[in-house]
Amino acid sequence: MTAALATKPGANPAIRLLKAYPMEMILIVLIILLVFSAHGFASLRNVLNVLRTGSLMGIIAFGMTAVIISGEIDLSVGAGAALAGCIVAWVCGALVGSLGGPLAALIGICLAVAIGFALGFSVGKFRHWFNVPSFICTLALFTALRGIANLITGGFPLTTFPNGFDFLGGGYLFGIPFPVYVFVLTFAGMHFLMNFTRFGRAVYAVGGNMEAARLSGIDIWWVKSMALGILGALTAVSGTLIASQIGSGTGTTATGMELDVIAAVIIGGTSLFGGKGRIWGTLIGVLFLGCISNGMTLLNVSEYWQYVVRGGIILGAVLLNQVLERIR
Amino acid sequence: MLDATTSHQRTGGLLEFDAVTKVYGQTVALSQFSHRFEPGRVHALMGKNGSGKSTLVKILAGVILPTAGTVRVNGADTAFHTPHDAFGAGVVTVHQELSLIPSLSIGENIFLGRLPMAQRFGLAVVDWARLHRDATELLHEMGLDLDSHRLISTLSVGQQQVVEIAKAMSFNPQVLLLDEPTSALATREVNLLFALVRRLRERGVTILYITHRMNELFEIADTCTVLRDGLFAGSVEMAQATPSLIVEMMFGETAKAKRPVRKTIDRSGAPVLAVSGLTRHGVFEDVSFAVHRGEILGIAGLLGAGRTEVMRAIFGADPVDAGSVTVNGTDVTAATPKRMKDAGLGYTPENRKEVGLVQVLSTHDNLCMASLGRIAPSGFITRGREQGAVTRQIADLAIKVSEPMLPVSSLSGGNQQKVVIGNWLNTQPKVMFFDEPSRGVDVQAKRQIFDIIWDQAERGLAALFVSTELEEVLEVADRIVVMRQGRIVAELDPTATTLGELYRLCMEGPSK
Repeated sequence: MTAALATKPGANPAIRLLKAYPMEMILIVLIILLVFSAHGFASLRNVLNVLRTGSLMGIIAFGMTAVIISGEIDLSVGAGAALAGCIVAWVCGALVGSLGGPLAALIGICLAVAIGFALGFSVGKFRHWFNVPSFICTLALFTALRGIANLITGGFPLTTFPNGFDFLGGGYLFGIPFPVYVFVLTFAGMHFLMNFTRFGRAVYAVGGNMEAARLSGIDIWWVKSMALGILGALTAVSGTLIASQIGSGTGTTATGMELDVIAAVIIGGTSLFGGKGRIWGTLIGVLFLGCISNGMTLLNVSEYWQYVVRGGIILGAVLLNQVLERIR
Repeated sequence: MLDATTSHQRTGGLLEFDAVTKVYGQTVALSQFSHRFEPGRVHALMGKNGSGKSTLVKILAGVILPTAGTVRVNGADTAFHTPHDAFGAGVVTVHQELSLIPSLSIGENIFLGRLPMAQRFGLAVVDWARLHRDATELLHEMGLDLDSHRLISTLSVGQQQVVEIAKAMSFNPQVLLLDEPTSALATREVNLLFALVRRLRERGVTILYITHRMNELFEIADTCTVLRDGLFAGSVEMAQATPSLIVEMMFGETAKAKRPVRKTIDRSGAPVLAVSGLTRHGVFEDVSFAVHRGEILGIAGLLGAGRTEVMRAIFGADPVDAGSVTVNGTDVTAATPKRMKDAGLGYTPENRKEVGLVQVLSTHDNLCMASLGRIAPSGFITRGREQGAVTRQIADLAIKVSEPMLPVSSLSGGNQQKVVIGNWLNTQPKVMFFDEPSRGVDVQAKRQIFDIIWDQAERGLAALFVSTELEEVLEVADRIVVMRQGRIVAELDPTATTLGELYRLCMEGPSK
């Protein structure tokens, strides 16, 4: 944000604002347009619905932002989320009789998060030890994890959750969906991590120039592996919430989610080349994607057109960032 | 004048320069150069950095055009606008950096961009059989026993160099320019290359051979032409030449470098950094030295002598095969850059643009990169806490930066170098390695950087200083070790050494 503020002062304050906060301005304009054109967009129920849907994807997107800034990528988050849901369901089914509902669910969630972290961390270590690019490694996981999820469930939705488990994904706390709290907490945590810790600064350095970071005495592989591990853990959290919302652990859930997540990160201004990006930007990207899908549905735009529009938005956002880079 | 000693139709070209001048802005890189390179001989071209040698090479390769004057090949005026023009006139250059594609075969590399085609089923397709037949014939003609199907990546550097020359020869040149062909080669491979050069000379090709290595001249060259400060300094037949004559032509009357008054270094105590028997096979062997508190140790040597490699290995950036490193008496052999940093070492790398800085990050972030652990021992960090370290370096090193939050890429070369140094000074190092700190910076910034190094040494920092410019090593260092082909061959007192002597040591060692 400080870098954006440091742009040359322009004559027109509106143009200056647009240059410094382009996506923020575009999001505000979009919201105003939707409030007036899409019937029901501004209703409380719809806003909470947009937030709930956005939260499930956004929790992962914040982790993805760190991974992309560190110069890596993870294509397996959709499959990872599905796997996490199935692990929680399976553990609940196995332990609910002996330990009771809450404890069984807690163990399941902890196990899923630990496995998510370990998978992410080992993607980093594979890159380190065997020089396998994270693109390839996570492409393999993309299919393998979905297979494992289905092996766990036997191909059918596992509805073995204890009573009250549906609160996590579908419940409300003080009138706001529970996942939104997790989303806000994740945002705050990742924002703090990236801006106010040694680790966060190291992520930027490693993604901006690996060799320079290494020669500065930064343990580059630990940094990359940790970023991937954190993403894996957040993926498991989101996967748990999704499973809770739909009431079952299913191997086929969250299909194609990785692309939405990466799109949100890119719309938020993070560079796929690494070294550049902000958690705040990803928040804007998540809200932007959420609003546009919801708005189009409310406006009765056909699903096929929605795909086309989303594609255009991704390309447009990247173009916008490139153009802004040049005029700054 | 044509050489008729060979049965081949190919004859060497007569290459003439007539008052060739190249001016870049205010700088005259080459001034009124006139010389005749007789056909069918090996002509060495010598000169220290900035003598105009590279300018001459670029003109012949068709990279740049001379500002004035003419180049003639076999009496015909030429103007090489592109490398293609140079090929057309029969002048082919083999550059210092290899331009082969590792994943392709020898044959394909030789004929890259002009692959032989054949008609099959009405389609133009690559005629692989002919390609490899032609390549094999070319290789055999040059006395090389290499299979044209082999991939470049399976060859040694020396073999690759030879393939590069074979590729050049496939253009049927009259004049072949070899730009430091041996700089990356081991002794055995140098012999392979020399055998090839002699064979080409027998076939009547005129060869311009650029080198920094004195002993090679006497082995391979027929004449030696020397450039100094863009001017023609002389030309001798090798039969009449001596090493000291050539060094004299290269340096002329050299003035002693001006040095600030330095306090005497106390070498009685234990050294801050001690290196013993450090070896990385094929790169450097048995390197030993010690640096004391407040001492600047210069490492002199030509490109490829192993200076940078030794520093990187000590710093833990590259592996070592044998030997030990101790810092303040603690053994830190085979460490990582992180561990070396913790032990109190700092390293400003030679190519700051590529590996010294993170260009997309701000000056502020780059100044704090190595010292995050010191600034934020608990792991938590704020801009405010970093500010002190940033402000101090910007003031102490006189870094000219309008806004520290803007990307470091917006700074000039000299200021970027200061940021690299400042990044390390923030770690409060006991030992600093300065690898080519003056490369690509203007004269004023260079002075400032030397002042910084002296000032830090005054405060107790031990430093290693490396520069390709031997004048700078003489000026900056308190003591100099000379490296040649991966070994330390001499140790000198810079106040009792002339530039010519140092240069000779770098080129040929003290025994001759």
